Amino acid sequence: MILQSIELNNFMCYAGSNKFEFTDGINVIIGDNGYGKSKLFDAFYWVMYDKCFDTSKKDFVPTNKLKRLLVSDKTLAEMEDGIVTTSVVLTFHNTEKDSIYILERRYKVRKDFEKLTEDPESEEIVRFKEMSYLNAREVTDISQIDSIKRTILPDNIKPYMWFQGEQVESIIDFNKENTLTQAINVLSNITKFDNIIAVANSLKESSTKELNKKQRDLSGDKSKSENLELQRQALAARIKALELQDLQIKDNLATAEEKSETLLNKLAEAQKIRELEEKRKSKERNLQEVQNELNDEQQNFHKRMFTSKWILKGTEGLFEEYSKIYNQFEQRKLVRKVEIQVRVDAENELNKVMFQLPIDVPEPIHLENMLSMEKCLVCDREAVIDSEPWLNMKMLLERSKMKIKTLEEEDETRHDFSADLKKLYQNGLGLSHNINSIDDEIASTFRRLRKLDKRRKTLSEDLSNIESEVNSLIVDAALNPSQANNLLNEYSAQNDLAKRSQREVDSVAHDINKKREELVDIENQLSSLVTGEIPAYLNEKVKVLEQFYQITHSTRKRVFHQLVAMLEAEANKHYLEMIQGNLSVRGVIRFKELSNGKNYMPELVDENGNVLLQLNTGNIILIKLATIMAIISARQGSRATDLYTLITDAPMSVFGEDYTIGFCKTVSKVYRQSIIMSKEFYRNEDLRRQLLTNAEIKLGKVYLITPTIQETDRTNRNSLSTNIKALN
Amino acid sequence: MTKEEILRSYLSDDLFIREGYLKDGEAEKYRWVTPGTNNLIDVLKLAIEGEVANESENIIEKKINILLNRQS
Repeated sequence: MILQSIELNNFMCYAGSNKFEFTDGINVIIGDNGYGKSKLFDAFYWVMYDKCFDTSKKDFVPTNKLKRLLVSDKTLAEMEDGIVTTSVVLTFHNTEKDSIYILERRYKVRKDFEKLTEDPESEEIVRFKEMSYLNAREVTDISQIDSIKRTILPDNIKPYMWFQGEQVESIIDFNKENTLTQAINVLSNITKFDNIIAVANSLKESSTKELNKKQRDLSGDKSKSENLELQRQALAARIKALELQDLQIKDNLATAEEKSETLLNKLAEAQKIRELEEKRKSKERNLQEVQNELNDEQQNFHKRMFTSKWILKGTEGLFEEYSKIYNQFEQRKLVRKVEIQVRVDAENELNKVMFQLPIDVPEPIHLENMLSMEKCLVCDREAVIDSEPWLNMKMLLERSKMKIKTLEEEDETRHDFSADLKKLYQNGLGLSHNINSIDDEIASTFRRLRKLDKRRKTLSEDLSNIESEVNSLIVDAALNPSQANNLLNEYSAQNDLAKRSQREVDSVAHDINKKREELVDIENQLSSLVTGEIPAYLNEKVKVLEQFYQITHSTRKRVFHQLVAMLEAEANKHYLEMIQGNLSVRGVIRFKELSNGKNYMPELVDENGNVLLQLNTGNIILIKLATIMAIISARQGSRATDLYTLITDAPMSVFGEDYTIGFCKTVSKVYRQSIIMSKEFYRNEDLRRQLLTNAEIKLGKVYLITPTIQETDRTNRNSLSTNIKALN
Repeated sequence: MTKEEILRSYLSDDLFIREGYLKDGEAEKYRWVTPGTNNLIDVLKLAIEGEVANESENIIEKKINILLNRQS
């Protein structure tokens, strides 16, 4: 069965009519994140199962929960009142019978004055053409529709054929008891062996009961036999309970072993995450310190304009000019001072001559006395007040009081700024020494700023590298830093649990053996009480059914192991093909049987069978994808794989680009037709070229999808549609 | 798997050689139509046939009981 085409009308980001056609081989839809790859996967799934994948819930959500989310926003926005129909049509071609199946799903929303009325459910239309050239007839019978869908993709195959990259972990979840058994069921008829075991168990029990009854009937001491039978039944019940306990403990042991192994694989990554986290914190502290230092330095830089007088840079000429003017001023001042001094001295000399008292004139005190007495005591004559002699005496007294002029007195009469000017000069003199060193200081500060900035950038880059390394490790290992921190404790706890469970298993096994011995003893006693003869057919029946019981169990185990070995060989074939692009990867896959005999854990072992510990998540996903492919390829020959198309979205996103081409080669070998959505070929053009030209890849159609408006330029999706470009 | 292939899977068990029901190498060549000479093989055939025909567990058990009680 080949999926010929998918037509999308107004489905999510696919506004308007869109069509992809497919052929045999690997068909690839290339697009970056958010370009519509997952929506295309949703479209396939929606038609078949009326559900779409919700990435946040990691689960499929039905139409009645999605409703208008299924409809293109652009179509809704552009539509005036009326009905908007979303539909997706899948066309399958059965190339052997040349018949065609057309599966369509529709969903309607009515728009009425901006009010939306959503249909509660979608509508499914299935058409069938017996021959491709005939007209299609609609299939209305529900059971026939189901049968057609099962023909297109049986339920047991579905998980391995149509899956999201994010589902790979859960499809092949080795922690779940039945994962490998389910895979083996797809691969084989192992359930038939299980059903035959159920028949053998039941027959063994009934034949034993029949024999016991016969023994009691033929007993020589019926009462003792009854008593022994009661003991036998009690013992058998006890053994059954112990066996059940044994199974439960073994399950616990297996779970603890699985968890220990999973944790062990993540231990190195957890350790690295922890180390990187510490490194990140330390770098963050350093960066903060350097940033603070840089901030301080930048603030100081501005302050130092004043504190370190950098503002004076370039004023050297001003000082020199001032200094010159000041010197001239000082000189002039000096000259003026000398001139004044000379004049004052001259005036004083003159005054001395002019106003000096005659030698015979008494001292002023005597003159004052004479004036008050109104009598000249020198000549002993009357000198009435205001008379000529009295006035002459007074004149003499006043002349004696005349002062000698000083330079200061002369200067008192003027505005004197010389002190300020001098201070300015002195300040300027002091500053002129600083000015010469400003350039050096500024240069040194800039050097320091540059150094700090460089350190900040380096630390910032280191921090960003560490963060990206941590993030990629967190994604790869599916561990967050706190989980990584707890991992070691959890690992120890699981190890302890495994050891404890092992001790319990040994102890229960001892009890069971002891009880079985007691049971044999009782059965012997019961046999010894038989007086008649047990019919030969009954003995034969018990013997045959005991052997039937033994071989059904041992054969089922053997067949299962053979299937696991086959699956392992197939998985290894695909694993080796996929890792060809990266020679650093080594080892082969081994499915290790756990203690309960039911669960298996994948391991990578070297050529000597030594386990390669601590696989990263990329390795584990590769192993899981190899196992999925093994389940399909192991069925080759039953033509099962020729009948179904692999449809998967982003299966390669977890492992590196080194494996992308290897994955495509393997897929094109294992599946007759596959449809892969990938971003790897969008980002890496060399990889895209290899895809389009590699002769080992059986290539179908390749499309490039791009949104009409980039996510970063969108405020809403009202004008969003998807461009589809065929690359081959 | 065909019913003959399933039967051969059972016949490959060591028990058949140990009990002398089959000789070495006989299991691989054993045909479904080989006439029954051994109760255990006949029981297996009934179980396989029933399982392949989607018979219920009870029916298969009844058929086996009838076979093994026949000698009474």
